[in-house]
Amino acid sequence: MKSLRRDFSSNPQAANVSSKVFVRSTKSGKVQKIVRELYLRQDIPCSSKLCSICPATAPADANGNIAPFVLSDRPAGTASFPRGHYLVPDTNALLNGMDLFEQTGAFYDVIILQTVLEELKNQSLPLYNRLVALIKTDEKRFYLFFNEFRLETHVRRNPEESINDRNDRAVRTVARWYDEHLRAATRHTKREKMVPSIVVITDDKENIRKAKEENVTALSLQNYVAGLEDSDRLLDMINESREAKETKGARGELFYPEYYSMSKMMTGVRAGTLHQGIFNVSPYNYLEGSVNVPAFGKPLLILGRDNSNRAIAGDVVVIEVLPKDQWKSPSTKIVDEEAVTKNDNPDAEDNEEVVTERERKALQEEVKKAHGKNSEGRPQPTAKVVGIIKRNWRQYVGHVDSGSTGTQVNSGRRQQNVFVLPMDKRVPKIRVRTRQGAELVGQRILVTIDAWDRDSRYPTGHFVRSLGELETKGAETEALLLEYDVQYKPFPKAVLDCLPSEGHGWKVPASKDDIGWKGRRDLRDLLICSIDPPGCQDIDDALHARPLPNGNFEVGVHIADVSHFVKPNNPMDLEASVRGTTVYLVDKRIDMLPMLLGTDLCSLKPHVERYAFSVIWEVTPNAEIVSADFTKSVIFSREAFSYEQAQKRIDDPSQKDELTQSMRTLLHLSKVLRQKRMDAGALNLASPEVRIETDNDEVGDPLTDVKTKAMLATNSLVEEFMLLANITVASKIYSAFPQTAMLRRHATPPPQNFEELTNQLAKKRNLELDVSSSKALADSLDHCVDEANPFFNTLVRILATRCMTSAEYFCAGAHAESEFRHYGLASPIYTHFTSPIRRYADLLVHRQLASAIGYEGEDGRAVIEGVSTRNKLEDICRNINYRHRNAQFAGRASIEYYVGQALKARSEKMSVGGVDSGIEEQGYVMRVFENGVVVFVPRFGIEGVVRLEDFLLPGESVGGSVEERKTLAVRRETDFDSEEYTLRVWEKGQADPNRSVTVELFQKVQVNVSSVKEEGGRGAGKRKVRILIMGSEK
Amino acid sequence: MQKASSASQTPHLSPAELSYLYTSLALPGAPIRPDGRSPTQFRPLCAETGILPGTNGSARIGFADGTQAIVGVKAEVERTDSGELSGSSSWVQISVEIPGFRDDDALPVFLSEMMREALGGVDSDTETDTGSETGLKGRLVINRRWHWRLYIDVLLLSQPLSYPLPLLSLTTHLALLSTKLPKLKSQGEEDPFFDDDWEVAQNLYPRHSTTVAPPITLLVVSVGENIIFDPNREEIAVADAVMAVSVTRSEKNSSAKSNAEEGNLALKPNPKLKLLSIRTIDPPSRLTQPGVPDAENATTGDEEVAGVWRPRRGGVKRAVVANMVQLVLGEVGEEVLQGLEGFSVHT
Repeated sequence: MKSLRRDFSSNPQAANVSSKVFVRSTKSGKVQKIVRELYLRQDIPCSSKLCSICPATAPADANGNIAPFVLSDRPAGTASFPRGHYLVPDTNALLNGMDLFEQTGAFYDVIILQTVLEELKNQSLPLYNRLVALIKTDEKRFYLFFNEFRLETHVRRNPEESINDRNDRAVRTVARWYDEHLRAATRHTKREKMVPSIVVITDDKENIRKAKEENVTALSLQNYVAGLEDSDRLLDMINESREAKETKGARGELFYPEYYSMSKMMTGVRAGTLHQGIFNVSPYNYLEGSVNVPAFGKPLLILGRDNSNRAIAGDVVVIEVLPKDQWKSPSTKIVDEEAVTKNDNPDAEDNEEVVTERERKALQEEVKKAHGKNSEGRPQPTAKVVGIIKRNWRQYVGHVDSGSTGTQVNSGRRQQNVFVLPMDKRVPKIRVRTRQGAELVGQRILVTIDAWDRDSRYPTGHFVRSLGELETKGAETEALLLEYDVQYKPFPKAVLDCLPSEGHGWKVPASKDDIGWKGRRDLRDLLICSIDPPGCQDIDDALHARPLPNGNFEVGVHIADVSHFVKPNNPMDLEASVRGTTVYLVDKRIDMLPMLLGTDLCSLKPHVERYAFSVIWEVTPNAEIVSADFTKSVIFSREAFSYEQAQKRIDDPSQKDELTQSMRTLLHLSKVLRQKRMDAGALNLASPEVRIETDNDEVGDPLTDVKTKAMLATNSLVEEFMLLANITVASKIYSAFPQTAMLRRHATPPPQNFEELTNQLAKKRNLELDVSSSKALADSLDHCVDEANPFFNTLVRILATRCMTSAEYFCAGAHAESEFRHYGLASPIYTHFTSPIRRYADLLVHRQLASAIGYEGEDGRAVIEGVSTRNKLEDICRNINYRHRNAQFAGRASIEYYVGQALKARSEKMSVGGVDSGIEEQGYVMRVFENGVVVFVPRFGIEGVVRLEDFLLPGESVGGSVEERKTLAVRRETDFDSEEYTLRVWEKGQADPNRSVTVELFQKVQVNVSSVKEEGGRGAGKRKVRILIMGSEK
Repeated sequence: MQKASSASQTPHLSPAELSYLYTSLALPGAPIRPDGRSPTQFRPLCAETGILPGTNGSARIGFADGTQAIVGVKAEVERTDSGELSGSSSWVQISVEIPGFRDDDALPVFLSEMMREALGGVDSDTETDTGSETGLKGRLVINRRWHWRLYIDVLLLSQPLSYPLPLLSLTTHLALLSTKLPKLKSQGEEDPFFDDDWEVAQNLYPRHSTTVAPPITLLVVSVGENIIFDPNREEIAVADAVMAVSVTRSEKNSSAKSNAEEGNLALKPNPKLKLLSIRTIDPPSRLTQPGVPDAENATTGDEEVAGVWRPRRGGVKRAVVANMVQLVLGEVGEEVLQGLEGFSVHT
């Protein structure tokens, strides 16, 4: 047999065509061979401002412009590269040192290869996103070079060559090409001497060796950084894990079990023998985690470090249920990492154990509980983590455990291991190698976790940056914003460019023929006013009411027309969609939209004409809705009231003007509406809210700023009409966009969520909680009263609120119509329409409503602006749900911080002789543990853990420092009754009931609240609020 | 319908031409073929593999007479319901596309069925277990719960000038030899999970193996006592018998067994090759018109007259079939397999 094979070598086109072949496994389990053809080109520019060749060939856009070149013609130099240098990092360099590349002091003029970017995307999506953001910013001069598409730099994989080797070769090829290219471009010009060095940054020793052979400059990240200024700080920012692995080598001891292979986990999850879920950690016990899995109604418990197997709160994990003999009851003990592992030495790894003796003891006591008798003590299914699907590690704010810096604090620049205690108590301490140990003590710092290996008891991480001294306002505020992932950087120029060019001088056009009036109704003659909290600048909403000839009323809700100013998909819109919501801290507001819009152009300020989006109803005196109408409008607000002012004006019988009359009408109607809502089963929930008024002058007691929120009738007036507007709009947009309407739902909580509370109420108060429907729950909550204890009802409401799921935004197509229900408001459909200045969801709803009523806008595009695809909306929903939740947490944390600071300021003012006597308040017991209780202090809206040593036994005085009290703890004995929810505390050997203190759930207790400075342990040098139990009231 | 069973579109030859051809081919011991080849000589062919980048394996073969075929093999992961490790014939799906024929016409159906049979696709009771595990379907087992499903798309690019079975079979053989499957990363009974690097994908059949290879089906004709390989269509037109013989490389341990089973045929087959099947194909010579001798213009007797064409009737002698099988299992089969192996060095 003879044969001929086709020969491609003679084909001149063959060199320009290449292909990329890989295997893709789809979610549905399909495995596909994917072939992508690559057509190699020569017009991809090098983007160096030195180059004279590329500008002539670079592809131009439709206007004939080429993309501006990025890399500087005079890049910064270092000692080794005096003529300046361009950096070409490989993937590992970016994986290990992304924090470095984000630095503003160094790392300019970086060439990012397409090969590297793609590899990074496969390895770490968060890092990829950060790199893309870096490439987008102009000031860092990062250039994304599409090396795979350029003929000269495209590298074909050799037979038997691994992907990594091929990619390394690609990096070296690019470096060599750049060098040759720039030399060629500057030959015989005066720039000839200015050609910068091309420096490959790689941590692969083999790559460095080959680079040397090929005459390419290559350095490891370490070596490169060592040659920079401020190298100590920068070196600390290199990912620790890889380096550590190399130095440690094969140190046999492994503390944690190995994770299952991905395929084993997926097989198990699909078969239902393993379960997947998000790992949560109890805020009271760092050794107790739980994972909610779809297969079971209740979360599975994960007890101890062995079982949690290196999972960190927030990770998506795969778990395996443990055999029944290992089932346990949830912990009844408060376990704090700082207390249990105080004496760990971050350097002494050799004799470390995963579970220290003390931790083991803490766990044993819980096993005992498993044999308890009542329902609460019944053992519950436990599980262990067998693998991690996705790490959700982020950057953590914390501070260096001063105890862990050890003896060599002053040993200067030596690298040492320290522990960083994250602010988030659910995150274990992080071992960080640093050269700046001594300086970092007492600072709020940002660190990140790099790895958690089987042979390390704690995760290892590296230092990112310092936020400033502990307890300074700037550092603490930034810490808070970072912890809750709030975007607080100032708006970039691209966003500000989207603002109207008139700035504050913008006005509603005078002539009605102006295009701005198109489709708008003139409502300037209506007596409209706004009612808001005092000092409110971003006024979203305004109201009016007037009688109609037929005896009914016309009621209007007018909302700031933000969508007029924020056009879809421009930079401002994108920024707002990322921010999702305005975040309110005690002394700071982080806006979703630039100030100009939020507090001026959109804000429905009084005595100015403003654009608005109005909902106008005709209602009967009995608050029956006759009709509803939606329109874009121009309004002229007559007055901006605070709640109090409005209340006063309504209550003042001498005021008989039309505006006051209309407010009275509104108030009357709102009461009827409220009653109807309550009859339908709306819940009156409570959350521990206080507000802080910072306008007060400095003299006097700082604590007077802390005020519990007062509910005036006018509050509920505004609230009722906003709810009504939201519900009306929700139905309208749903009918127009059955698939893509942006709605908000509050899922009915599963009854088992209430199990514990029901149990507690039945036991302690003989009250029954009916959770069969929201109506039943509302009624039974109304019955939860204690004559002697008026706060009891609120307390139960707070606890009930915590049993519920949180409300969420969703896209109408994502759920069946029956699932749209808003449980808390007892409304079949709901959305957010009334605060577009501070919530992105409302802005979207505005666009949808405008589109639904056929409003065309100035350019006739508004009709299509409201239409969006479901996928995109679902992404937005996910983001704003997340932002919304974080904004709430951040707000609460801010208040908590402020209360602490106020207490501190007070103690500094009031204390005599340096001893803070604290302030006496009333508190309520929310939870009872075996070694402490959780007390809620309504006056300050805070809850805190009261440990054994903080129980003031009869005859004891308030005084005594924290340290003194701590020594008491070991001498305290307790009797904990998990069935009766009581805890009796007494001094060792003095079990006399008269000399002991007994507290029980829901009990009102007298507490002493003060701010104390922690000494040693997690808090070292940090203040915290201490609550002492002074005694109980029956 | 005749197209289906007859070996090719019958060339329009006169009885005299038929008779002349037959006589030269039937010369005892030394047949003279119209193109001068020796009885076991194949026509030159040109072949290449890996021509379809999107497939798991592909090949193209062109015979010198202008017939060409392309075969693409695609693989897909599928769940096994029965939990068996022996594999099932339904895992290999062959579709044959011949220009001018509907896919439910007899010829494509018949051809694909014959090829599937050779690929171990027939679930017969007599088949030995050892054979199926090393055969194609055994190779498709990933674990107890998962297997690969193969889609073999056979496309004849030209008109079927001669009976296309050998061309299609050889091309399929080559395509299977070049077929790669993504490398498995998971172990045991886990849901399969694969390496995304195509370079490390593994061959469905091992390279240069002397023990396993995809089957081939050869077309062999007998004229008189002579056995002729790779017949062109004129040769088929006068053949006494047309047979499709399928062989494959066989495992060492099973060769002894097959020796014993086939011993009654008094053969000494090459221990490395194994006979899979023999199919007789209706020889087109039966449908030709007989020639009329000059002498007996009016009468048509049954006895043969030298030089006058008579359509062949009746069966084939056992010895001829045995001879045929021996040749296939001997050096001819081996030569073909080795020749094809040479093409698929790199894909």
